[in-house]
Amino acid sequence: MKILINLLKEAQDKKGYLSEKVMKGLSEKYDIPLSRLYGVATFYMHLKITPQGKNIIEVCGSPSCILNNGNTVEKSFEEELKIEAGETTKDKQFTLYKVSCIGCCDEAPAALINGKAYTKLTSEKVKKIIKELRSKESSKTKPRKKK
Amino acid sequence: MQILKKTQLKSWKKAQEIGAEKVLELLEKKGLVGRGGAAFPTAKKWRIAKSQPVEERYVVCNADEGEPGTFKDKLIIKKNAETMVEGIIIASWTIGAKQAFIYLRGEYEYLRKKLERQIKEVLKKAKTDIKIDVVRGAGAYVCGEETAILQSIQGFRGQSMYKPPYPPVEGLWGKPTVVNNVETLTCASQAILFDDWDTNLRLFSISGCVQKPGVYELPLGIKMSEIIKIAKPKNKLKAMSFGCFGGIMPINENMPVTNETICQNQCHHGAYSVILIDETYNVVDICLSIAKFYTYESCGKCTPCREGTIRMLNLLKQVRDGRASKKDLETLNEFAHHVEETALCGLGQTSGEHIITALIHFRKDFEEYTKEKKAKDKLKNKK
Repeated sequence: MKILINLLKEAQDKKGYLSEKVMKGLSEKYDIPLSRLYGVATFYMHLKITPQGKNIIEVCGSPSCILNNGNTVEKSFEEELKIEAGETTKDKQFTLYKVSCIGCCDEAPAALINGKAYTKLTSEKVKKIIKELRSKESSKTKPRKKK
Repeated sequence: MQILKKTQLKSWKKAQEIGAEKVLELLEKKGLVGRGGAAFPTAKKWRIAKSQPVEERYVVCNADEGEPGTFKDKLIIKKNAETMVEGIIIASWTIGAKQAFIYLRGEYEYLRKKLERQIKEVLKKAKTDIKIDVVRGAGAYVCGEETAILQSIQGFRGQSMYKPPYPPVEGLWGKPTVVNNVETLTCASQAILFDDWDTNLRLFSISGCVQKPGVYELPLGIKMSEIIKIAKPKNKLKAMSFGCFGGIMPINENMPVTNETICQNQCHHGAYSVILIDETYNVVDICLSIAKFYTYESCGKCTPCREGTIRMLNLLKQVRDGRASKKDLETLNEFAHHVEETALCGLGQTSGEHIITALIHFRKDFEEYTKEKKAKDKLKNKK
């Protein structure tokens, strides 16, 4: 059974966001008005119609995380990345969001990074995670040594 | 834990042997009620859907566990998904549905691949032609509401709809649809099979200012002091919030925790999400965090919620910034009541609960920030 929200998510999985080209393609393929597709996509937090950073960081801002230094963790991400929640770094590697409860209240404070849960975060852990993500990216783009 | 007991398709076998009517009678006898927060009798919901004079029916497993402080369904999906799937099969067969959906919240996307494998395995072993598809939620708290979840599945914005019609009468594509929580469907499978299944045991999601947060299976009627002992607070506790929607009440160690005693404190038990707050916090700051949550999550459809949640946040900010008078606290209270009385769905109808209950039980915290108090303190300091 074709479920629209699943189709949109699958399309987004491939390119990181729902570009105009992708939306027009979906509209044609499934005979759904473009206006309807945008109407649905703009409703949901996880569906993006603008380009995103390579790594998406979603820091939980709900009460259980706030009660466990969640605000400090959010500030740590902002300091490490030199952006505020809702922004993307200039090198387009990271986009940071502050989000509602992600269901990790027993391991607060927590964040989702590229859809994976990172829990019991501290400022030190945040620095380590960002460092690892950055070095992962730079090892991908490192030029091969000539023989 | 009772909730982690596996039924291994023996419940499905028993259901087929005793027949749909006996399944419904058994669930009625065992007293199973919905575990998503509304506590509607499960068998009653299934009967309503079953009795509609149509061929097509649907079952939706609501795995959109978005209430802050709630993480019990995640435990079930991680550790006993097979029993949940069996519950979905039994529900579908009982009401005469051929298609079911599991609406999995987007924040639990990392559980999806394993869940889909488990669904495939259970369906194969169950030898049924009932289909179960996973719908990928996309970060909207409102989709935990039963009409919004149906709108989302049907390919629309996840906005709530007017009730009636109620989903068991007219749901997905106009057909009778049973929407049940993850825990409810898991319990259904267990209640059918296990003679000693106990409806009084509930899953408490405990978090906040504690050293041992987690999901605890506890009997209703347990003393609050026992819950506190289990959770091990970091400092002396002050308040207990039932998620964001259920209200905030003071700690009363001798109180047996039941639906009635929680109600007597003007709160709602919901899905027993207990956020424990200690004395190092002013309740106004907690209300601010909750109010921000509601402004993000309002679906925008009805004016009372769309505009009211923003106004409540702004009023709270005025309180916090010392720009509010005692009269403004009355306005805040009145406003919160007004939004609740006029909003379209459960989200808006409970969006002011934290403010209303906090003003009843923790008025001093609000008055701490008022202009009158600041003036008094200034005078005191001058002397």
